[in-house]
Amino acid sequence: MNTNSNTYTVVYSIILVVIVAAVLAFAAMFLKPTQDANVKKDTIGQILTAATFAGVQDADILDTYKAEIESAILVDFNGEEVGTLNIDECEVYGNSDLKRQIAAEQKALPVYIFKNGVTVVPCYGAGLWGPIWGYVGLEGDLKTIKAVRFGHKGETPGLGAKIADEPWFAESFVGKVIGAGEVLFEVAKPANRQLPESGVDAISGATITSQALGVTLNQWFGFYQNYFAKNGIAAEEVVDAVINETGELEPVTEVEPANTVEE
Amino acid sequence: MGNIKEAFLTPIFKGNPISVLVLGICSSLAVTVQLKGAFVMGLSVIIVTGLSSLVCSLLRNTIPNRIRIIVQLVVVAMMVILVDQVLKAYAYSVSKTLSVYIGLIITNCIVMGRIEAYALGNKPFASLMDGLGNGLGYAMILVIVAFFRELLGSGTLFGFQVIPQAVYDFGYANNGLMILPPMALILLGCIIWVQRSIQKDLQEK
Repeated sequence: MNTNSNTYTVVYSIILVVIVAAVLAFAAMFLKPTQDANVKKDTIGQILTAATFAGVQDADILDTYKAEIESAILVDFNGEEVGTLNIDECEVYGNSDLKRQIAAEQKALPVYIFKNGVTVVPCYGAGLWGPIWGYVGLEGDLKTIKAVRFGHKGETPGLGAKIADEPWFAESFVGKVIGAGEVLFEVAKPANRQLPESGVDAISGATITSQALGVTLNQWFGFYQNYFAKNGIAAEEVVDAVINETGELEPVTEVEPANTVEE
Repeated sequence: MGNIKEAFLTPIFKGNPISVLVLGICSSLAVTVQLKGAFVMGLSVIIVTGLSSLVCSLLRNTIPNRIRIIVQLVVVAMMVILVDQVLKAYAYSVSKTLSVYIGLIITNCIVMGRIEAYALGNKPFASLMDGLGNGLGYAMILVIVAFFRELLGSGTLFGFQVIPQAVYDFGYANNGLMILPPMALILLGCIIWVQRSIQKDLQEK
């Protein structure tokens, strides 16, 4: 057969591509449940880290979560509970669910409350090369940060990737207070921060990732602000403070179309 | 049989794809910070080079000459995606560490280079062995480089601390340079240097 004729070439490439596509489609469908389970487990591992249960072995993640979680609820922008997540099935909001909430008019924002008193809230936004996300564990006053865990899809290794890799960066969040100054939270060098207690140092050489993280945190803390105000212990004080603030404060307008719609 | 044995053994030392042919350098710089990553990357490349060489060799008499590179690319891409999917399902943490580099195996010159240079002109079994041998040669260099980089850069091997705390107390410090890609290049240079002083026929006159 003349393997150089046009007909042969065209037919050959069509058949080859169809076979390859079939193989890949089959593999993707066959492996999807296992992959999804891995992603979910990874997410729960990050939530656990933010709830101060760091370094749990892969195999124990689901059991630890079930044992330590008090309740997992969904709240709207006004801080009212609008649903619950099934704890027995370890139901959590993954990145795609979080992404949907940013633009959604009726938000359903996950809140994970642990038996040790830590409340974990997520954040999700755009980094330099791809999405960045994180989980922030808060103490009972819902203002003071207890532990954090950040992740990213593909920030520059050695620079932006440090938000996930470097222990000192996560540690620098511990004890910081959300909303002590005019902005809820800052990731910037000390000289550019309004209040030392409501911000952390940015990472040298990773300006865009650091700024993006600051914007993302502000946006999500903004989403949760009403929930924090209503449910934080020492509620009276906190409510006053936040109402005053929302009166004056322009809630971090950079990437916050959803917020302005709500208000 | 001598031919097949040679096809498998030559690329491991005498015709090593990294240190002699100097192919596939980029990924050997990127994934050698830790042994674990280097190990899995090496294994993935062995599988991809072996199987793609086998498939291309089986197809070699039917492939239309004008689109042969595209056909090779499709076969290699399929293998790489399969490896990536399997890692995501069964070795998620490793797949997260290697992230984009598994996908980039497709751009690894060794894979396409061996198909074009060997598999298209040889029988399937010999091609499989040639592919496996080249993958193994690549993996070997990766592991050697990663061994030194992890030991000197982090003081660990496979994530376990091997340099005792007492040594640090005496003022020893991990070499931060080892974590950065340039040191992989320098280590690679040392490996090529050692190999060339053993194998005199590689030296240019």
